[in-house]
Amino acid sequence: MNWRKLLVLAGVVSLALIITMIPLLSAGCAGSAEQPVKVGFSICYTGPAAEKGRPMGDGKLDCMKYINEELGGVAGHQVEVIWRDNQYDAAKAATIINELISSECLLFTTNSSKMMMASAETANRAEFPGFAVFSAPVLTNPPQHIYAQMPDYGDDWAAFAKYYLDNIWQGTEKPKMALHLLNNTTGSGARDAANALADEMGIEIVADEEHTATTISEIESLTRIKAENPDILYISSTPQPTSIIVKNAVELGMYPGMTIACGHASFTSVLVELAGTDAEDVYGVFPTVNWGDDVPAMAKMTEYCQEYHPDDFGNMDYITCWAEGLIVAEILRLAIDNVGVDNLTPQAVEEYGFKKLNNFDVGGLHGPVTYTPGDNRLSKSVRIFQVQNGEIVAITGWVEAPLIPYKFD
Amino acid sequence: MDLPAGTRNYTYAQDMAIFRTRTHWVLLAVLFVFLFTAPLYWGNYWLGVANLIGITIIAATGLNILTGYCGQLSIGHAGFIAVGAYTSAVLTNRFELPFLVGLISAGLIAGLIGMIFGIPSLRVKGFYLAISTIAAQFIIIWVLNHWTSVTGGFNGISVPPASIGSIVFISQTSYFYLVMIITVLVIFLAKNLARMRPGRAFVAVRDNDLAAEVMGINLFRYKLLAFFIGCFLAGIAGSLLAHWIGFMNAENFTLIDSVLYIGMIIIGGLGTAAGPIFGALFIRLLQQGITLIAPVLENTFTLPAGFTTGIGPMVFGLAIILFLILEPRGLAHRWQLFKAAYRLWPFSY
Repeated sequence: MNWRKLLVLAGVVSLALIITMIPLLSAGCAGSAEQPVKVGFSICYTGPAAEKGRPMGDGKLDCMKYINEELGGVAGHQVEVIWRDNQYDAAKAATIINELISSECLLFTTNSSKMMMASAETANRAEFPGFAVFSAPVLTNPPQHIYAQMPDYGDDWAAFAKYYLDNIWQGTEKPKMALHLLNNTTGSGARDAANALADEMGIEIVADEEHTATTISEIESLTRIKAENPDILYISSTPQPTSIIVKNAVELGMYPGMTIACGHASFTSVLVELAGTDAEDVYGVFPTVNWGDDVPAMAKMTEYCQEYHPDDFGNMDYITCWAEGLIVAEILRLAIDNVGVDNLTPQAVEEYGFKKLNNFDVGGLHGPVTYTPGDNRLSKSVRIFQVQNGEIVAITGWVEAPLIPYKFD
Repeated sequence: MDLPAGTRNYTYAQDMAIFRTRTHWVLLAVLFVFLFTAPLYWGNYWLGVANLIGITIIAATGLNILTGYCGQLSIGHAGFIAVGAYTSAVLTNRFELPFLVGLISAGLIAGLIGMIFGIPSLRVKGFYLAISTIAAQFIIIWVLNHWTSVTGGFNGISVPPASIGSIVFISQTSYFYLVMIITVLVIFLAKNLARMRPGRAFVAVRDNDLAAEVMGINLFRYKLLAFFIGCFLAGIAGSLLAHWIGFMNAENFTLIDSVLYIGMIIIGGLGTAAGPIFGALFIRLLQQGITLIAPVLENTFTLPAGFTTGIGPMVFGLAIILFLILEPRGLAHRWQLFKAAYRLWPFSY
């Protein structure tokens, strides 16, 4: 009986100790004698966006490993990464952003517009700068402390529309475009741009359909689109639903016979794997180079990817976040050079890091990175790609995406 | 309620009191002192987690009243939380009304919407009612996404910080006090509700609605009342969530979240006042624990790519299965057993 009592007592004491020690331990982790520069990554490793979040998380963590181990950190200081899996859950992202601020991180990044939206208000209030790899226009309009690494979903639409009018469209009337959009900011970003620019550019939007990330058939929506006889089907989504839309378009005899194009969140090797030969000739807008392209950063990135995350090889999301790691390092380097490591604060990093970015070359992985006052998109260039013989092939050089005059409430 | 050996009640008031012994009052005082001083030793991160737990407790308490006490299964709870969140966001952002107006309106509107979706409960129950509440989830989210002029559509809507008079609840610490006070009030309300006529009527409806009707309980009235109260609390939780995150998007309220709330009240203990507290604590702390441990595992061991990323969903699923098999009455029952053993101590044999 004494043993039982002792066990219960030990259990209660242990539980009490665990509960009280968790905050103390985490507080203890926050400060160390050497004070490396800290950055925070909120990554969608699991959850509905994991198909994109995982290669992106792997890319940025591998890049930071490379920077710390091979380059000796940034300006001689190791970069301490605090990364958390936000599970593509807004409430979780909200707690993570608080942790990153409390942990004295100097900046943060996240992958998706949804996660950035869940973090942005807290970050803006705390003047804690961060950037999202993939973003919707609403995040940077009006510009505050949140930046976009690459052109947004609206820019994709504008870039492809211009390319289509200049290079593909042969008719004399306005080309008819149907939109098939994911029911979140990935889709609405493209819609916002279409609303703002379609008339001006001379494109008629004849259909605007939505789909969910978990869709298994879009035959019904495509049948409605087919009735409008569009010249272009533009998809802004993620790879899995995009592959279903493309396959369904083939089943309905709509494609080939019209042009299909996708925004950058749709257009990765996963799309080609899932849609197979149906994806042949599909156009895509993407803000990075492709695997195997002859650019300075390709060799090292490929080496790390094949050593640590071979499953990600061929996935362009890995490239975007390797580039993100390089940008993080450059922002920190600029801030350290300008104010010294002892004076680094999130505000100093924004003023003397983010805002000093000027034509920074991310090893050729995507367009140059520059801060322009009033425009929180750091890189403003995209390229048009096409699926040719099962491979994603670039068919243009870098195309500058102009700042679209959005009007959000 | 059982009392320690040798303790007796001599009046009706004593018999009905929630806190009945000096030990109860001392423990309550210790708990309040602990909560009020928590910001002194918790950082922003843990205060944020505490805020999320508090908001979750409020929402789970609502679902517990609806499902645990009244037996009306709802798989659309996240949708009702969304109604509250957007009501408060729209009123405080677009109409610039005070936070308290937004908060109360969030509860009332969510309660009314809940009553509308609760109307089928008179005719259908169990699995069929669950399906009709799933419909609520989808309809609400669709409306929020497409009523762009009011809700901001897919782009969402920003929410100003909560404020009462000159007090602005912008820091995690100040928000912690706001959430804590409302959570305590909601728990107190739920505990008392269960002991009042509506609570007893809910339990009667849950256990056998035909017998309840024969005894004179108006089924329609009490089922709708359960929907109203359950969704009112969901709305309050939604309002607090909106002002805490500062930006609302309908993507934040998924069917998975609704299932998660059901998981919480199962793990915590259906039909008990303490159940939602235990359930919310268990699930939210489990999520945080996994979030913290995954990077450590990934960095310490050479694990296959993506191995740690599956831990979260696996552990959550496993927890639900284990609770259903080993402790279907939830953590609240374990707590009762512990208290019973404590009352008899040192003669617990």
